Amino acid sequence: MSCNESLRVQAYFDGELDASAAMQTEQHLENCVDCASLLADLEATRELIRRDLPYHRAGTALREDIREMLNREEGAYTPRQRRFGRPRLFLSGAASGAGAMALAAALAVFLYVPQPDPLVGDVMNAHLRSLMSDHLIDVVSSDRHTVKPWFAGHTDVSPPAADFSKEGYKLVGGRADYVDGHRAAVVVYRHGAHVINIFAWAAGTEKLPNEETQKGYHMACWRSADLDYCAVSDTGMDELLDLVRLMKQQ
Amino acid sequence: MTDRRRRFEAQALPHLDAAYNLARWLVRPPLDADDIVQDAVLRAYQSFDSFRGEDVKPWLLTIVRNCFLTAFKQTKRKEGVPLPDDSEITLVDPALIVGDLDPEATVIQMDSHRELSGLLSELAPEFREVLVLREMEDMSYGEIARVVGIPIGTVMSRLARGRALLKENWHLNAQGGSHVLQ
Repeated sequence: MSCNESLRVQAYFDGELDASAAMQTEQHLENCVDCASLLADLEATRELIRRDLPYHRAGTALREDIREMLNREEGAYTPRQRRFGRPRLFLSGAASGAGAMALAAALAVFLYVPQPDPLVGDVMNAHLRSLMSDHLIDVVSSDRHTVKPWFAGHTDVSPPAADFSKEGYKLVGGRADYVDGHRAAVVVYRHGAHVINIFAWAAGTEKLPNEETQKGYHMACWRSADLDYCAVSDTGMDELLDLVRLMKQQ
Repeated sequence: MTDRRRRFEAQALPHLDAAYNLARWLVRPPLDADDIVQDAVLRAYQSFDSFRGEDVKPWLLTIVRNCFLTAFKQTKRKEGVPLPDDSEITLVDPALIVGDLDPEATVIQMDSHRELSGLLSELAPEFREVLVLREMEDMSYGEIARVVGIPIGTVMSRLARGRALLKENWHLNAQGGSHVLQ
């Protein structure tokens, strides 16, 4: 490209020139073969790009992941919890695991309130841990036919995992977790912006706490068939109990 | 839904496709475009309170690009590959520069759609990114300059060189020649 005006011609092509500069360039183009040829090349290349280059759009899986991530971010963090930093999504598994444990340890100290029943504190901590790490869900599905069999293969118990989207409680998946010495299966629901974790483990003989509220989180426990359940969420207590009622009907 | 979430959904999420497209054109294995985009959206959401008024798309794409750069440098560090001098951040990764392509391999059975994608993917990243932002996102020189963090003059020269390379390689492809990449 021998002409000095070549970048100007490109700027003209890209619509970057004001009216008077554009007019000057147009006059130049009438007199300069090299620049006229450049303009033709630029137009041909643009045509090629328009015709042949794919524009990649975000898929539904990514959009769902982002929606859930924003829900967690929106609902889980209070200004005080921010002190402990934020998990990153694509660090290696080892690093994020260590980070999550450190966060959980710090949080446990922060949240420590002497409990007459250690189960309550443990379930609360497990709930918060699940919200703070990127380990909310091991199996992503709103289909009971996917979640329940997953439990059968990965946890000691297999609680019912029905979707209640019609009533406003969307099944988003399942998780394996540890609570008060039990290996628990967790059914995870979404109610609006709130996450509801339903922890389930093999029924014991001790009395379960009924309803508890701590630092804005509500918990409801019950025993049914051969399983003990604890539902935890920062949604309202009434909303939580509605889901419990739906679960009990299963 | 909180106010911030509502605002973010209304103002930033409409540009999710743009974010993803840019990530797809920047990212190579072992990095994953989905991961980059998720990280970028999270950071954007976290700093959204301090974002005021200006155009959201360039702001979001800047974050995407920075997330990519951070992750890219991390992987290079892990591999023990020395990073180029940062005076003008170029990403000329030896792995990205293809030597003499087998002429037969390039001409055989490639439909033109994949051909151009392949040619663009082969270009050095500093040319590729300005082309994507100009041709696919319709950004102005000023916006591109902001997103990439270079002077407008550099945007112009990179666009000129990138377009010339693309055209040159397209014709070379048709003749079975090896490609010019810089």
